[in-house]
Amino acid sequence: MFKFLINPSRFNKFADIILKPLIIITSFTLILGLFLIYFSPLDYQQGLTVKIMYIHVPSAWLALLTYAIMAIYSIIGLSFKIPFSFVVNKAIAPIGAVFTLLCLISGSMWGKPMWGAWWVWDARLTSVAILFIIYLLIIFLNQTFENRDVREKTIAIFILIGSINLPIIKFSVDWWNTLHQPASVSKLSSPSIDISMLQPLLIMTVAFSLIGIIIAILRIKAEILIRKKYL
Amino acid sequence: MIIIKKIYLFFKRESKLFFSNIVDLFSNILFFFLSVFVFIFALGTDEQLLKTIGIGIIWSLLLLSSTLSLRKFYEEDFKIEILPIIHMGGMSYELIVFLKILSHFTFVQIPFLVSLPIVSIFFNLPANEVYNLILTFIIGSLILSCLGSISASMNLLNKTNFSIGSVIVLLFSIPLIIFSVGINNADSDFNTLFNLLIGIALIFLGIAPWSSAACIKLALKNK
Repeated sequence: MFKFLINPSRFNKFADIILKPLIIITSFTLILGLFLIYFSPLDYQQGLTVKIMYIHVPSAWLALLTYAIMAIYSIIGLSFKIPFSFVVNKAIAPIGAVFTLLCLISGSMWGKPMWGAWWVWDARLTSVAILFIIYLLIIFLNQTFENRDVREKTIAIFILIGSINLPIIKFSVDWWNTLHQPASVSKLSSPSIDISMLQPLLIMTVAFSLIGIIIAILRIKAEILIRKKYL
Repeated sequence: MIIIKKIYLFFKRESKLFFSNIVDLFSNILFFFLSVFVFIFALGTDEQLLKTIGIGIIWSLLLLSSTLSLRKFYEEDFKIEILPIIHMGGMSYELIVFLKILSHFTFVQIPFLVSLPIVSIFFNLPANEVYNLILTFIIGSLILSCLGSISASMNLLNKTNFSIGSVIVLLFSIPLIIFSVGINNADSDFNTLFNLLIGIALIFLGIAPWSSAACIKLALKNK
């Protein structure tokens, strides 16, 4: 059933079926999310700036999720020798980089009114900046080697080494005393965020991930076409 | 018993290679000294200022000067195709990488140790900080050797983009520099941070042989 995740031709068929409905659902979700953000309540301390959260948090989650997907595909590609996983790795690295950059920029725009500085050397911020550098290095390594086999596998190994950073990002707010607030949604007990703010946040997360999926599908299809043509 | 003899022979070969090219090491150390001088000239010779930022400067310059010698980590062995021959002699690539890391640690990083007390005189560092610096450098240089092995093996077939190897080393050495400079802060506990450093060293000693061996195998296959 999930063969389309590792088989290029099945992926192409699946993408052709799903792409148009996905675009309609995405635009609907995005409009609904923006509507809900507009009518969501203001924070009693932060005022209007709390609405940056609806961009900041989904992009941060998706930056981590993209890297996790790349790490999983690297393991699959290295151990089962499935070339499609390297196609995915190459296609979705820039998406993750963009989400990380979005998270960093919106975070620093949020930090200026709240903490009084665009950037503080806090564990969470530093580790996310390192994640961004790792994404950039993956994109650069994609342009480096002449031999395709060497390039793909080297990048997969690099991704696996760099995935040490993921748990550091996740638990940095628990391990160190940080200015960044600890997790409030993804706690095991009930989330410490009000339902009126949680609703638009979750809908925006869905919309962001759908946008990411659409771009990923287009990029993977283009990558498959390039490989068919030139190899 | 045979494997011990093989390891002994490996180290003998490494030491011969090292002593035949000892000028390279001296020029690395000279680079380190000169960069320290340049830093002091750029900052001015205020004693109090140098005392507070000394450890950080020494560590970051150590990192930079240790990335200088990285390209020849596997390059020569790869060029004369000695690695498959050692492999045929009954050593796995992982073991070769591990021994290579150890030999790099003994022959390249330990000589830097001698230069540390001399450099710390320039910064007027107190004796206990020099002691901490040397202890952390012994562990930290092992981590640096592991990182060097990873980045050098990744870039064996890389003929265009030379600076990316140093970038990889600098990227993964961020935790090392955080903990090793943090040891000298007044409010931090020495034992905790030192144990953390040893933990990082063990993690990289576990990762480096696997990843370097995988990259070397790839490079040998596609040479």
